[in-house]
Amino acid sequence: MVFTPLSGEEFMYGRQKKFLLLTSAALAIIIPIALSPVYAQVNGQANPQPAEIADPSQRPKLSQATMCERVDNLAPLRPGMVFSVSNGQVCCYTSFDPVPQATLVYHRWFHRDELSTQTRLRVYPPRWATYSVIQLRDTDKGPWRVEITDQNGRVLNVLRFSIAD
Amino acid sequence: MTGFLKFLSTIRWQDLVDIIINSYILFRVYVLFHGTNAFRVLVGITSLWILQEVAASIGLILTSWAVRGITTAAAVIIIVVFRNEIRSALQVRNVKTFIWGFPTREQPTPVDIVVQTVYQMAKKRIGALLVFPAKEDLGELIHGGIPWHGTVSPEMLLSIFWPNNPVHDGAIIIRGNHIVEVGVLLPLSQRQDLPSYYGTRHRAALGLAERSDALVIAVSEERGRVTAANGNSLTTFSEPDDLSQLIRQHLNITDGMPADAQKRERLRLSVAAVLSLLVMTGIWFGFTRSQDTITALNAPIEYVNRPLVFEILDTSTDEARVQLYGSSALIKSLRPGQVLVRVDLSKAVEGRNVFPITQDNIILPPGVFLNKVQPSTIDVYLDVPITKELPVQVDWVGKPPENLNLAKVNVAPETIKVIGGSQILQHVSTIYTAPVRLDSLDKSGSVTTTLVLTPPSLKLISNSNEKVTVNYVLEEKANSDRR
Repeated sequence: MVFTPLSGEEFMYGRQKKFLLLTSAALAIIIPIALSPVYAQVNGQANPQPAEIADPSQRPKLSQATMCERVDNLAPLRPGMVFSVSNGQVCCYTSFDPVPQATLVYHRWFHRDELSTQTRLRVYPPRWATYSVIQLRDTDKGPWRVEITDQNGRVLNVLRFSIAD
Repeated sequence: MTGFLKFLSTIRWQDLVDIIINSYILFRVYVLFHGTNAFRVLVGITSLWILQEVAASIGLILTSWAVRGITTAAAVIIIVVFRNEIRSALQVRNVKTFIWGFPTREQPTPVDIVVQTVYQMAKKRIGALLVFPAKEDLGELIHGGIPWHGTVSPEMLLSIFWPNNPVHDGAIIIRGNHIVEVGVLLPLSQRQDLPSYYGTRHRAALGLAERSDALVIAVSEERGRVTAANGNSLTTFSEPDDLSQLIRQHLNITDGMPADAQKRERLRLSVAAVLSLLVMTGIWFGFTRSQDTITALNAPIEYVNRPLVFEILDTSTDEARVQLYGSSALIKSLRPGQVLVRVDLSKAVEGRNVFPITQDNIILPPGVFLNKVQPSTIDVYLDVPITKELPVQVDWVGKPPENLNLAKVNVAPETIKVIGGSQILQHVSTIYTAPVRLDSLDKSGSVTTTLVLTPPSLKLISNSNEKVTVNYVLEEKANSDRR
């Protein structure tokens, strides 16, 4: 499995384009910051634990989570439960609605109960969609699961799938 | 003196019991087999074995090998050739006689009564055939005997051979003062040089005498003569005294005092008992007290008294390397399983426990001693068994169908309860099924498969089904989805 820098890329719904333009400058600073801990995790270093969101209503609500072959035009393509290793990649697509305040979510990829990689993703109000992707190799065949957790490690959903021939 | 006392202090009570038991076994072998040919051959084999050991110890390679071969063959031969003697020695009336009893001296044969009756029968022209066995077993030579066990008396002998008696034609076997069998058929002699006046009775007498060490007396009913067959000879006795002397000589009956005979018998048995004790003591010390051989072997580790709340999660080693010393005979005879390292877990706690391996932990056969052991400690990790409910996930393998998409999968039951060590289960989040092949799927349906518990120490809770049903939904891929 090869971790892709694109996996930290964040997408917004179409009607938020104005917001995107206004904050593009800010994102130019945020994205490298957001990506750096991902690389840190890949390198085996621990992330600092963010402060607990005490009020449950302030936590983001996971509205959709699916495994798919690709994400195109902000939508998951070819969702499924089994993916061929010949596809070259598999994505974990999640969308949150609402997102009361900017926060972090994690996609934790497990291959047969063993943590393979973890992707830190930033989500923003009011709604946000994001995904992580792994590149597939022959040794990645077998059962997988992705745990979607909030910044405090609370598991929001678990997606199970398999990588086959 | 102090050295001797020190030596005595090393002898355990078990050692004394060991020597006494084996001495008694040797003594019983002597008592039961004394006087038989098998015993003489047994003594010969023992001598050969001693010779072989001596030859081996002084380096006579060929001699030791040759003697070993002879000893092995002789051991087989003694069982085959002397099976009847062995059987008769071991066929005692009860266990008590076998273990404790002494062969009672038979009442001597009343030779005078026998001789007088024999001549009385000769005078009356009553045919008779009397067999006096010696040490050889006659079981293979005689046939058709009827057990009798009557005391020898003139009336008894006359009545057996009385012409109208149904058993008068056969021979009788006399042991001590008892007629043990009547109507016995003897093998006939094949000799061609016998005078024509000797009939079947004389041929039978000679036939048995030729084949054994028994003495057979034949009384001719036609000529009224008394003939004795001994070895290859047939001798006619006209004088009762001569016959009496022959029988006494054959039965080794002397006119000594019975009290003296009993004294001699007691002395013989006492000497045999003392010799048995001395021989066995010598063998015992030879076997156990020489500590000339050192060997090393891997001993399995056995864990005992494990508190029920714990399970053994892991150990630093499964076996220990023990170096032992003792006599070469005992060291050579060591078998796997005789040496054991036993670790008592009664005081163990959850997590890592370190147990030292000392002399007290190692079970050794008697006479074998510990020199050293490696490792000197064992780490034992104990865990508390818990029950955990885990989701079941299908392990799909093979090539997914080209134009179909596995859209939905549902496993029944979705979760399964397993029992295992808490530290093991901490790292287990999913129970996977056995691999389910995708190649053959062409429409939605269900398959039944088994669960694979990893690590194998995990167990399903009782009454759980090891099989799960996988329901799956296949959907046609949209044209745009096909690649």
